Amino acid sequence: MADKSGNIEEMAQRISSIKQQANELKAMSGGIQAVDRNVDRILASVKMLEINISDLVGLVKDSK
Amino acid sequence: MTDADKYWNPILETLPQEKLKELQLRKFKRIFEWAYHNSPFYNGLYRDAGIEPGDIKMFDDIRKVPKTDKAMMRAIQGKEPYPYGSILAVPLEQVTEYRQTSGTTGQPVYHPETWQDWEWSAESWAYILYAHGFRDTDRLFIPFGYSIYIAFWAAHYAAEKVGCEVVPGGVLDTEARLLKMRELKATGLAATPTYVLGMADAARNRLGIDPAKELDVRKITVAGEPGGSIPATRKRMEEAWGAKVYDHAGATEIGHWGYECQAQCGLHINEALHLIEIEDIETGETINEPGRRGSMVVTTFDRLAHPCIRFDSKDVIEWSPVEKCECGRTFRLLRGGVTGRADDITKVKGVLLAPAAIEEVVRAMPQLGDEYEVVVTKRGDIDSIALKVELLPESGTEIDVLKEDLARELRAKTNLRYDLEFCQYGTLPRYETKARRFKDLREKE
Repeated sequence: MADKSGNIEEMAQRISSIKQQANELKAMSGGIQAVDRNVDRILASVKMLEINISDLVGLVKDSK
Repeated sequence: MTDADKYWNPILETLPQEKLKELQLRKFKRIFEWAYHNSPFYNGLYRDAGIEPGDIKMFDDIRKVPKTDKAMMRAIQGKEPYPYGSILAVPLEQVTEYRQTSGTTGQPVYHPETWQDWEWSAESWAYILYAHGFRDTDRLFIPFGYSIYIAFWAAHYAAEKVGCEVVPGGVLDTEARLLKMRELKATGLAATPTYVLGMADAARNRLGIDPAKELDVRKITVAGEPGGSIPATRKRMEEAWGAKVYDHAGATEIGHWGYECQAQCGLHINEALHLIEIEDIETGETINEPGRRGSMVVTTFDRLAHPCIRFDSKDVIEWSPVEKCECGRTFRLLRGGVTGRADDITKVKGVLLAPAAIEEVVRAMPQLGDEYEVVVTKRGDIDSIALKVELLPESGTEIDVLKEDLARELRAKTNLRYDLEFCQYGTLPRYETKARRFKDLREKE
């Protein structure tokens, strides 16, 4: 479990970073739909990563 | 086999129960707050009840939150923002999918999905398919009329996510589907128990194909009816196809909340995505112990457009006495899956009757066909139940003996007497999706 919790925090940081970069990409698109709509799809997948990994930050660590 | 080979998410699926509860409380607070601030319907419901996000501090506080049900959803819809009404918790332009319930119990309920919610549906189904043993080496055939009903849509996208090769059975008829499955050597199938049996029947009797010997299907995922968790029905499906049959449970408004694992000792609730409570059907009292059936109250944590919070689904379920599943998952188990709907459990001659109990008896008798029909009527002041069954042509049993056996088994299982009618094989209605074999024709008081 200790290894898992270490991984969770690191993975959650990466997930957060992907989310930030996706949002930055959308912000600089100037409204290009081919960018914005694909970013929305990326963000939906990022949300699934948050549900599977990021939501566990703190929880699994506590069980060490 | 590593944990990553065994579970879709080895961390969540083996999280200790106390940690799961902590996660559920966090997630309940989050969806409650979301609905309170974004859905006018929920905001009004909670304001009327005098409850707001800060009031949910402990797990027991969840019981203070008002329940919702299908009748409320029907009353809301058809108004602005059209057609979903005030429950909608996202701007209408974010809705990317329309679905509706099958309308088995009345007016269908409209269901909006954003792309994120749709992705979530596929994600929750991925837990199911992975637990059922589907991998990127499988070719999964989905014989489903892709339409406005959600049914196996999410299974399709989840199978892609898991890495399977998906064959959409779509508008093909049953025979064409069977032939395509044979041609492509499909290894898996996802359908209702009724249709799984119906396809096997059509293969044998219309095409002269024995699915167990001539098709390559070795895993079948079923849903939509209790059959997958009724031992006699499961046995018939497994024998007909020479395949393992796995049950799962879900609904349009709720998502896909339960699944069997390889150990097959009940349905695991996906407690990372849902909170399931069981309430006594008559008193509403919370049931925490195994062995008592009750109605399911469910919260879905991460679906945002049409939040599902403490929804009284009327599904009849009970906790399993098995505390630790040999598969290693810590998600709690239900015994026997969804055994029916609270709406269907009715008093006949003063005795509570669940139609699934009749199915269990009929399908345990090898001389009888898969189909049956139950009709409850009232003659004067007395309830009467008629049960029609089909006798298999090759059964070779005397009807009088069979009738006696069937009456005895039904009485033992349901404590009721039936007017039994043996019909010629193939004369009772056949169904492709959800079957309607139980008819209560008594006038409602």
